[in-house]
Amino acid sequence: MADVKVKIRNLKKSYGNLEVIKGIDLDICEGEVIALVGPSGCGKSTFLRCINKLEDVTGGSIVIEGMTLCEEKNGKVHYAPEQEVRKIVSHTGMVFQQFNLFPHMTVLENLIEAPIQVQKRNPQECIVEARELLKKVGLADKENAYPSQLSGGQQQRVAIARGLAMNPGVMLFDEPTSALDPELTVEVLKIMQELAAEKMTMVVVTHEMGFARDVASKVIFIDEGIIKEQGDPHEVFGNPKSERLRQFLKVLLK
Amino acid sequence: MDYVIYIIPQMIAGIGVSLNIFVLTLLFAIPLGFLMALGRLSKIQPIRKAVEFYVWLMRGTPLMLQLFFFYFALPAVGILLSDFNAAIVAFVFNYSAYFCEIFRSGIGAIPKGQYEAAHTLGMSYTQTMRRIILPQVVRIVLPPVSNETITLVKDTSLVYVLAMNDLMRTTRNLVQRDFNMTPFLVAAAFYLFATFILTEIFNRIEKKYSKHVQQ
Repeated sequence: MADVKVKIRNLKKSYGNLEVIKGIDLDICEGEVIALVGPSGCGKSTFLRCINKLEDVTGGSIVIEGMTLCEEKNGKVHYAPEQEVRKIVSHTGMVFQQFNLFPHMTVLENLIEAPIQVQKRNPQECIVEARELLKKVGLADKENAYPSQLSGGQQQRVAIARGLAMNPGVMLFDEPTSALDPELTVEVLKIMQELAAEKMTMVVVTHEMGFARDVASKVIFIDEGIIKEQGDPHEVFGNPKSERLRQFLKVLLK
Repeated sequence: MDYVIYIIPQMIAGIGVSLNIFVLTLLFAIPLGFLMALGRLSKIQPIRKAVEFYVWLMRGTPLMLQLFFFYFALPAVGILLSDFNAAIVAFVFNYSAYFCEIFRSGIGAIPKGQYEAAHTLGMSYTQTMRRIILPQVVRIVLPPVSNETITLVKDTSLVYVLAMNDLMRTTRNLVQRDFNMTPFLVAAAFYLFATFILTEIFNRIEKKYSKHVQQ
């Protein structure tokens, strides 16, 4: 059994009276690439955002690399103290649909900001490492460019490199290619595929079924706030058990 | 020309008063306005409401009325301010309300995604504000701040009503004494010059903070 990086138990999330996630259990193991798929509004993005506390859960527990982010005691959710939360969260890297690069910083500055400010690492060392990462995402010549001077695909690759610069235990991707046209989507997916080949632990919310099938080690189909089906991508896509997933796939693969 | 040279030393004394008010007002009103903007965006409702009320009060009444209030009305409750102090208090109170609104709108213009990205990188609130949000806010608020600052140059002439010898009052005294309209022109030149310098300064700062924006 591989090392469990993130352990999620009975995760629940409500907005007022509206329950979006109704109890999800998930172990994210080292080297796993998990594709979260499902119809829009099913709660897959919300679920991902709960893992790094972009959303506060209303029930359940999350343990990241052995550190408890939150746990439920007597029906109440308790989060770790703020400083601890920041430390735990920085063990996850996040890539957003809208990139969210810092526009007033160059590409290189975007990459070294958090390692220097948060992890208090040696700036020279960070720069060397950041250049390595830029080479990896194919943007070695862009270190002095500002985000506004880059294409969407390039910005997203920088965002991936920025996440990796923190040496996270798990990378979270929230629809990383949904804001990109097909050509730029390919270049971003290629980088993600390379990361997967290097055994980076990844959780990807995506509508790219091709990516989910070919790259993911596990597909999780979420519908109405719960995991409806999960397993090997070929099994899940090739032999869907629920009517809901069959419908979903029919529309997508048309 | 001889006349101009003759009146300039007296006018410079007036400029000193105006400049003092100008500098002190900015020095206090900008940080105060910033703190109030944070209060205006606070999650704590009483703080938010208090700042909202303050801004409404200060923007909703004439600056001249506020000058009168701090100089003439406060002594009635035992608070005695010199004309200069009353002027500074009134200007700082008034301008901080405007700066508050400028900063609030600037901070509000930063997309939520910037805070989220900072959060996922483990940055604290202070780090997020100082390193990520404020540098972007500066660029957004520079034009309105520049506007407000130029308005302040000319608003300093309102202390005239407290019989303070600022540039405006000095000018008027000279006109009445010498029965010559030239001091008006000289005063106008001074105000224009000050505005010119400020415009230049703000243009430079703006350039510095806009280098990441594609031309």
